[in-house]
Amino acid sequence: MSSSPIHLHGKPLNLADMLARRQQGYSLEAPFYTSREVFDADMEHIFGKHWIYVGVEPDVPEPGDYVTVQVGEKPILIVRDDDGEIRAFHNVCRHRGSRLCADERGAVGNLVCPYHQWTYNLQGQLLFAEHMGADFDPSKHRLGTVHLKNVAGLLFICLADEPPADFEELAATMTPYIAPHQVANTKIAKQIDIIEQGNWKLTMENNRECYHCTGNHPELTISLYAYSYGFAPTPETDEGVRRYDAMVAERHAKWESMGLPSAEVDRLDSMISGFRTQRMPLDKTGESQTLNTRRACNRLLANFEDGAIGGLSFWTQPNSWHHFMGDHIVTFMVMPLDQDRTLVRTKWLVHKDAVEGVDYQIDNMTAVWDATNAQDRRLVEESHLGVKSPAYRPGPYSPYTETLVEKFSNWYINRLSAYIK
Amino acid sequence: MAAAPLPDFNMAEPALWQPGTDDTLECVLVRDETHDVKTFVFRSQQPRRFRYLPGQFITLELEINGAAINRCYTLSSTPTRPDTVSITVKRVPNGPVSNWLHDHMQVGQTVKVLGPSGEFSCFLHDRPKYLFLSAGSGITPLMSMSRALTDLVLDRDVVFVHSARSPADVIFAREQQALARNNPSFRHAVICERAGADRDYAGYQGFLSLATLSNIAPDFREREVFTCGPAPYMAAVRKILEAAGFNMQQYHEESFAFETLMGGAEEAQPPAAAAGEGYTIRFAKSGDEVRCAPPQTILAAAKATGMRLASSCTQGLCGTCKTKMLSGQVDMKHAGGIRQREIDQGFILPCCSVPLSDVVLDR
Repeated sequence: MSSSPIHLHGKPLNLADMLARRQQGYSLEAPFYTSREVFDADMEHIFGKHWIYVGVEPDVPEPGDYVTVQVGEKPILIVRDDDGEIRAFHNVCRHRGSRLCADERGAVGNLVCPYHQWTYNLQGQLLFAEHMGADFDPSKHRLGTVHLKNVAGLLFICLADEPPADFEELAATMTPYIAPHQVANTKIAKQIDIIEQGNWKLTMENNRECYHCTGNHPELTISLYAYSYGFAPTPETDEGVRRYDAMVAERHAKWESMGLPSAEVDRLDSMISGFRTQRMPLDKTGESQTLNTRRACNRLLANFEDGAIGGLSFWTQPNSWHHFMGDHIVTFMVMPLDQDRTLVRTKWLVHKDAVEGVDYQIDNMTAVWDATNAQDRRLVEESHLGVKSPAYRPGPYSPYTETLVEKFSNWYINRLSAYIK
Repeated sequence: MAAAPLPDFNMAEPALWQPGTDDTLECVLVRDETHDVKTFVFRSQQPRRFRYLPGQFITLELEINGAAINRCYTLSSTPTRPDTVSITVKRVPNGPVSNWLHDHMQVGQTVKVLGPSGEFSCFLHDRPKYLFLSAGSGITPLMSMSRALTDLVLDRDVVFVHSARSPADVIFAREQQALARNNPSFRHAVICERAGADRDYAGYQGFLSLATLSNIAPDFREREVFTCGPAPYMAAVRKILEAAGFNMQQYHEESFAFETLMGGAEEAQPPAAAAGEGYTIRFAKSGDEVRCAPPQTILAAAKATGMRLASSCTQGLCGTCKTKMLSGQVDMKHAGGIRQREIDQGFILPCCSVPLSDVVLDR
């Protein structure tokens, strides 16, 4: 891939050159958002070689439960086997390639191709293939396996033959943060898919800053402290910052004493499996990301007695973010569809014994993020329309409120550069 | 194929063959009986001993030209030699299964088998005297009974009258002679339509008649009669016996699992459990009803009557035939093709379900 036939407004460009000349602290050149060739490189190298977030353990609560996810042109099947182990396979029959499971989710006994009924067990072994003759050796036709890691209930897959090893560090660091929320003991109260008419990197960049929050997210900012995502300091902000920092210190001490790790860990662009986490105070009652900051579900997660444990946020490169609260969890997966379209999948998780209409009202629980997703979608789509213009030039990120955007872009440029010479 | 190890007769007997568990048999010998009849001898893949009533049939589950075909064959073997079973098959013009067996079944090949099953056996009717009447490959269940009676030295008086087209078509001719030598109370006779190429043939010619029967077994009215052969032959036998004032309570016939002798081109459709035998399977949507006699599965019974149900593996693996059972009870031995929660919701796999009662399916 030394010279890619990438064009910008009719002129050929070289991806390696584009990567090499990326100016730190600035947004990316237009073809990174608009070109099919860059998209193909993204799918091959970013989504094809890194650990990507695909779902949660409650997607497959029982043996035989499966979910499917489409990664570029690769249909993937995630299934819980009879030993309770969660496994990922290429959702492609070893006979003539048909997808085994066409539905987004379901339950199976064995995995049976609907085309000619080739039958695999949930470990991927071919059990049955009719009419193949005496010389046919089923053991030579296993389903293609895909690496899968379960991080305290969050499911990540890697399509590379040899996945990045530093994911172990992510898992080791994050497990104590996430485990107290007991993801495996939750159920999916609701899942919403939206398709944004924009490049996936615009979706991710938008997620990595709250510069836009005050002007666009009146619902979300009810529970968010203005100081939690960075700001340009002025004499007027000093007093507020001091009080916010003191509160964070005091809450962190309290939460840590409750067995809830809270301190910030930021490896967004210092690891191949980049991530960041922090348990953040929520405003007012401090319980949940709702319109009144009170818990949306009366049946708290795990064995929490105190609902006011703020929100544990977890960001991963290249495609997810998550908010764990005392009463529910909101988790987001980003999946590129093509250079101009991106799937954003949001799941709300509650304690598996919580009863809808009794312990929680689903509209109340989803109100903040339904609104915020719709607002973010408009922001991404407007950005995408703008970066396609010849008038677009990479612009400078705020050194105060867009440091995490810079880390996303920096990570992306570094990771792609590792493969594009 | 590696030779099977010699058995160690000092060891305890191997377990009994279990239909459903040991459902695969391996062909270990193909023997020419006549110019168009072969015997296929099968052994279990694990050391197993077969136990069945002489006269019973097994059901072969075959894949022929992409179609799943089940065919019942009475066993010609005897349970007194329990390590193998055999079927004896006559080639039939246009008979898809018999010709396929003749052309493709070889030593080393495996076949899936259901059974044994059936009620056609002199061992269910203990009498001092029997008359066995057979035509063509209908000889097989009666041969099984004769071998068993002889091996066990049971001292039952047997007259065995076999009808064939010509001397060259007489199946087990030399073994019948051997039975007669080894068993003083066993007599046999052959009736051929014509002498054919055998200029020396001096036996009975033509068809079975009251006169011939009275010659061979003047005391036939005292005997329990077991008849197996093509439908026209059995109809003729019934007519002769009824006309002779025979007590038809002493008459038994096998109504399937042979191939036509008298030039009929089509093989008889297999089992279709005899009316009254087994359970009724009703398909609620189509309104179809079939009889299913254990150990036959619901799928096998439905297929045997010509019904088309989506299915594939027939082993409970793939779940293709999964169906809601609206009422009834089955014994289901699946292999992972269905989840317990589906079973709890009332679903079954007809391919591996044997009815324990009448059953209604949502199909």
